[in-house]
Amino acid sequence: MTGHAEARTPETNKVRAIVRACRLISRMNRLRPDVTRSENLYYQMLSDYFTRLLDARNNGDFIAAHTVFFPAELLYAMDLVPMHTETTTWMTSLFTGECSDLLEAGSALGLASEICTPHRGLAGAFSLGAVPRPDVMLWSNMVCDNTAKSGELIMELAHCPGFFIDHPFKDSPEEKQYLVGELEDMVVFLEEHSGRKMNWDRLSEIVARMDRQVQLTREVNELRKSVPSPFGSRRFLELVTMDYLFPGQPAAIEYLETLKQELSDMVAQGKGAVARERFRLMSLFIPPMYLTGFLEKVSQEFGAVSVVEPFFTFWGEGRLDPAHPLESVAQKSYMLPEMRMYGPLDDRALDAITSCAREYRIDGAIYYADVGCRHTCATIKLFKDTLSEVDVPVLTLDCDVVDPTLTSQDEIREKLERFFELLEDR
Amino acid sequence: MKTAGIDIGSLTTKAVVLGDDGAVFSATASTGDDRGQAARQTLQAALAEAGSGLGEDLYLVSTGAGGRALAFSQLQKAITTCLARGIHHQLPSTRMVIDIGAESCTVVKLNHRGRVDDWASHDKCAAGTGIFLQQMSRLMQLSLEEMSVLSRRAKGRADITSTCAVFAESDAISHVHRDPPTPTEDIIAGIYHSVVSRIVSLCKRVGIEKDVAVAGGVALNEGIVRALSEAVGFAVIVPEDPRITAAVGAAVLARESMEKGMS
Amino acid sequence: MREGTQTSKTRLPALERLREINRAFPDAEQLRELKRSGGRIFGWLCTYTPEEVIHAAGILPVRIVGYPQETDLDDGTAYLYVNSCSFSRSCFQLAIRGQYDFLDGVVGGSTCDGVRRLFDLWRHYMDTPFYHVLNIPRKYTEKAHRLYYDEVLKFKAHLEDWLGQGISDDSLLDSVHLYNESRRLLRELYDLRRVDAPAVTGAETLEVMNASFRMPKETFNQWLQELLSEIKLSVRAHANRVRVMVVGSVLTNADFIRSIEEVGGLVVADELCTGTRYWGDPVVLDGKTPLLEAISRRYLGNFPCARMYPSDERFNRIIQTAHDFRVDGVISQNIRYCVPYCHDLPLLTQRLKAEGKPTLALDVEYGTAGSGQIRTRVQAFLEMLEARKR
Repeated sequence: MTGHAEARTPETNKVRAIVRACRLISRMNRLRPDVTRSENLYYQMLSDYFTRLLDARNNGDFIAAHTVFFPAELLYAMDLVPMHTETTTWMTSLFTGECSDLLEAGSALGLASEICTPHRGLAGAFSLGAVPRPDVMLWSNMVCDNTAKSGELIMELAHCPGFFIDHPFKDSPEEKQYLVGELEDMVVFLEEHSGRKMNWDRLSEIVARMDRQVQLTREVNELRKSVPSPFGSRRFLELVTMDYLFPGQPAAIEYLETLKQELSDMVAQGKGAVARERFRLMSLFIPPMYLTGFLEKVSQEFGAVSVVEPFFTFWGEGRLDPAHPLESVAQKSYMLPEMRMYGPLDDRALDAITSCAREYRIDGAIYYADVGCRHTCATIKLFKDTLSEVDVPVLTLDCDVVDPTLTSQDEIREKLERFFELLEDR
Repeated sequence: MKTAGIDIGSLTTKAVVLGDDGAVFSATASTGDDRGQAARQTLQAALAEAGSGLGEDLYLVSTGAGGRALAFSQLQKAITTCLARGIHHQLPSTRMVIDIGAESCTVVKLNHRGRVDDWASHDKCAAGTGIFLQQMSRLMQLSLEEMSVLSRRAKGRADITSTCAVFAESDAISHVHRDPPTPTEDIIAGIYHSVVSRIVSLCKRVGIEKDVAVAGGVALNEGIVRALSEAVGFAVIVPEDPRITAAVGAAVLARESMEKGMS
Repeated sequence: MREGTQTSKTRLPALERLREINRAFPDAEQLRELKRSGGRIFGWLCTYTPEEVIHAAGILPVRIVGYPQETDLDDGTAYLYVNSCSFSRSCFQLAIRGQYDFLDGVVGGSTCDGVRRLFDLWRHYMDTPFYHVLNIPRKYTEKAHRLYYDEVLKFKAHLEDWLGQGISDDSLLDSVHLYNESRRLLRELYDLRRVDAPAVTGAETLEVMNASFRMPKETFNQWLQELLSEIKLSVRAHANRVRVMVVGSVLTNADFIRSIEEVGGLVVADELCTGTRYWGDPVVLDGKTPLLEAISRRYLGNFPCARMYPSDERFNRIIQTAHDFRVDGVISQNIRYCVPYCHDLPLLTQRLKAEGKPTLALDVEYGTAGSGQIRTRVQAFLEMLEARKR
């Protein structure tokens, strides 16, 4: 098994590629009058995040790699440099159109092709030295086995210590207490390895901002209920990324406040994200990254907008209290949109779908069936049956979130066309 | 103005003209290399059946693999929409139609108004399609009709995988060369079962609901239809001409479109 | 490849009786008889579910399994989708086709994605009267043990509430003794394969295991006791075979083991959920720990499933077993889409190699009998191992 080589060449350094792509997009956007300020802010934020990561070694910073839904608030509070591992794989696919070298490297390690591409890709990235070597690897079981099992392999590949957060299945008081205990242990671990102390005041500030961040996201979601809906399908990833990369960060607040204002203005003027809104869609799971541009085109052509993503942008109930920072970080993990799909799929989770369908006046739903994501695909039939109770048809698109070789654009287009015809015919 | 529908498949082109009373006039021809040419000829033949000529006013809806590129159709519709409308016109009690084409298999759930509720399809591989049956027919050195007739006599059923056409073919070959050889009828029964299994699992993805109809060229194969009925546990129904179902649907859509335009 | 030797007196009546129990499951006459006479049956999954609690409530616990062999999984696939492991789809298909309608309750844990969703869908599509899912921690820390104790307490309380009566400590103690006795007897059975020429094969052992979790433990213990006597009295000996350990998750089709044993191997040890992991460790009664806590500790700390952290716990136990049973090589049967076990494979293979144990990794579907391609690969692996021995 290969060790970790320092990322030297531009071709293999994926983080550098992401930074370049973000800067390029920023430059191009500045030349276009129709690009909003929030979008510009977003790309600037991405560029800053990955640049900080790129320069971390030279600056003597401490890099903490972590998996998705891991509470990066704690890392920011200790002034460590976070590296969100799955996002690095996605963004590589998103901005360069493919990440086959990472996937092949992951397979070469002996990882079965059933291990989902974001995780196979990130293991491959570490083995190739395509991302900066982290000082610690932090992961949890949120929200699936793939994530739960990815950490130990990364620790071997990157020759670094690691900490696993065991997130309980349900939200009883005892389980929540256990989670807080896990977070406490992790703070101790980080203090030991980084030589820095947790700044509890700063964490409280971050939690306060995180509370505001969730509130703003809810307000943005409210605006998306308007007919026509002001926020395009293409941009939903921005909302998702706000929590993945920038939880409780001032830049995230600025982005959301700016976005909220822009959307309010559009709603006041009766303007929508697409020229002529014909179909309001619910998205279940994530559209493939490399198809973002293509789906945007289709969206404009057919007047189809994804107005709600119940398990990606729609937060669970609850508020965060800066006076109890660690408990709040634990609480927030239960409020995360995707976490409602993790814990027992009880009526609460299903009601969230039907109420979204009603409140957003959904015409149809698209389930992006990512072949590597077992636990989401296992809900396709259940969600279909649930949505049929409110008379919403569901299209299932077989795909892979980062690997473009699985389905062709033509096939996807044909399926979407059939679906839009189905919706029109009703 | 006359209304017509045309389904340009990879192997055959089907054209349907709707009479004023809903009567169906049709023609079929092989697609060949020039889709436009095949479309024109088939349409002409169907119009002749209806007692008209190509020069008259015509509202044409096209569908199928070659439907998009057709320059002289007024509208292009997805095959799923056409199948639903078509089978609804042919057999109104249908709630699920299985279209077994040359290269693909599509299952469409429709409601009592002939509208699509859901669908599922196999586009990526030959298992469960007409091409696979033709492959098998060549392998067994029997025509499709002969296979269908022989399948009636099967007492047992050879074990032939339904996962992949390539593996299925090698399973069939090994049965032919077995010592003593597996009876031909049983091999055919096994082949049919393998085709039907794929189709049934596709149906289950959208949920089986009676009445279930079969369309497409393969629906003329009694053996397959019988095997399908056995697999789902009740009789599946076949329209008088299952090959033209999608074209009928296209023609119905043409009429709907025209009527909407006039109102 | 030298032929293995086996002597003639091979009939084991007790084994035949156990096989009979397996034959019809889940549609077994014994279970139907039990229900007719007013008995109750709960289905459970996985090895972390505290069976003693169910048993102490006077309910028969049976392990939920899928079809006994690989089969078409159309219905299972329609619900759980094509990329869920075939084990979860197989189990669900049996359920949705009514084969588990006799169950009065289902109890499971948040063990892995496949089982988690199996239980989610079971809850929505089945009408089983009692339903409970425990949160199973993924760690072995003191905090984790405390949490699991709390989970087991809640489970017991829920069950008592549903029954309308309490589960006494005396009943629990009786159940623990009964289950510990099973574990002791199974360990004895397994220990028979430590020797050079074991009297019992891996396939036979798996058949005994299958019966163990689908019949009353009282009867099972008795039959197993008889089987052990019969074996001792017999002159069976399987000598000159390549000694193999099978690792992986769920395996119930003994034909798979048989196919290894028909081409020169002898499966002398395993780590399977339906094998060693089931009986693993006993409940330790030290006189100080509350009974229910002793139970929860046993279950959480038992021979690990690949879902647990750190993986080294599982690896170390596998390596220990491999050394104790002097295996020549390891066969890892990985059910397609089984993430925890597939993810472990690269590191496990590496560790085993360092201990001088080569590994053969086989991609399987649940229920496979191990024919064709698998058999060829196994044979090649065994020949390689044999060559190394000489």
